[in-house]
Amino acid sequence: MRNLLIPLLACIACAVIVSVTAVSVRDKQNENLEYDKKTKILLAAGIIAENIDEEFTNITTLYIDFKKNELVEMEDSYDPIKATLNKTTSTLIPNEKDIAILKRRENIGPVYLWLNKQNSIDKVVVPIRGYGLWGTLYGYLSLDSDLNTVRGIEFYDHKETPGLGAEVENQDWKDLWEGKLLYGSDGGVQLKVVKGSAKGKYQINGLSGATLTSNGVSNMINYWLGSDGYGPALEKIKSLYGPQVAMQ
Amino acid sequence: MKDIRALLFDPIVKNNPIALQILGICSALAVTVKMDVTMIMCIALTSVVTLSNFFISIIRLYIPDSIRIIVQMTIISSLVIMVDEILKAYAYEASKELSVFVGLIITNCIVMGRAEAFAMKNPPLKSLIDGFGNGLGYSFILIVVATIREVFGSGTFFGVQVMPDFYPTNNFLLLPPSSFIIIGLMIWVIRSFDDEQVDENEFPLKAHTYKPLTVKKEVIDG
Repeated sequence: MRNLLIPLLACIACAVIVSVTAVSVRDKQNENLEYDKKTKILLAAGIIAENIDEEFTNITTLYIDFKKNELVEMEDSYDPIKATLNKTTSTLIPNEKDIAILKRRENIGPVYLWLNKQNSIDKVVVPIRGYGLWGTLYGYLSLDSDLNTVRGIEFYDHKETPGLGAEVENQDWKDLWEGKLLYGSDGGVQLKVVKGSAKGKYQINGLSGATLTSNGVSNMINYWLGSDGYGPALEKIKSLYGPQVAMQ
Repeated sequence: MKDIRALLFDPIVKNNPIALQILGICSALAVTVKMDVTMIMCIALTSVVTLSNFFISIIRLYIPDSIRIIVQMTIISSLVIMVDEILKAYAYEASKELSVFVGLIITNCIVMGRAEAFAMKNPPLKSLIDGFGNGLGYSFILIVVATIREVFGSGTFFGVQVMPDFYPTNNFLLLPPSSFIIIGLMIWVIRSFDDEQVDENEFPLKAHTYKPLTVKKEVIDG
């Protein structure tokens, strides 16, 4: 009897201690994650800021209703990742369209927009995510004022193999993205991560030893910047904040 | 008193878990590129080994012998999860850099080794001090390795530049294998001061012996 009781008590005690710690530091952890996300948004746009919150006052956050392709008002605390857990705030992606393997997509997504002095687009950051090899990669892609040229890419959470897939965080690799073009002449997403040596404005060198992660990154760009993701929304933003509009 | 001092300071040089017992090498290779990350890893491991020794020692008489490793692992892993959660809350940047290595403290041989070899046989307070001492021993080696690697590798110390501008980054020291060599050199230095630590030669060479060839002559008659 004693042989069972002591391990059982030890287990219960350990479980209680672990859960109490986990719950009591949860708020602080979430704060850190938020801060990290914000840093990554700024980094993707090429801004290294001392005071993140101050820098964020320069950003206009737009929320896009993907179904209606309309701008909507949302609270600052809105979390698109959490929205995918709820059936009313997200939609199931049909299998043939689910190239980034997301299963559900939120109904409303954020776009971070910087405006210049003429009140037209300076740069834009959109969230991207998709399945790599071991899990979903979460990140941000930043575009220039033409909404076609890539400024930078950042990932804030992933589960890829250190040294192989986790090289998505390697600065040298991220630097390859700058100046690449997203959309081809037909309007579709052309940008791809390719094996071997990349040629031209639409290709990026794949990560060696991490083909599946590279493909995952390709797919998430294709999905999120394509017609099912932010593609139409970016057109809309262009028509609202584009340089020709601001001139009038 | 003397006893306590021995428990606390012996593991630093005389009976170092890394240098003498060659345990816990893996994290010593991986987390010693930067001083600040190394310090956090040292604090994490020291607190885990101290507390795990203490708690295991409290219930040592009640742990059924056949499942003792599992009970030890439960306690150790709970402590490691706790440390990991706290790091994620209060040292986020460092916890990101340490990534899996905090979780891997669970399998660190020093923690298991002290639990099995000391805490299971000694009273709580003694075990606590022993755990802390071994944590210090581990930290000592890590801090020395990290100092060498950061100062001569990237030319900085705690992120502050200490080497002159013309000093190039030494990529070899930034890669994990360099700590193998540094730890090897440290073991050499420690053992050349302390003869007791020198391993006995398992295959001693014998002095050369000469034995003249004896050729049997067959006697042929006639």
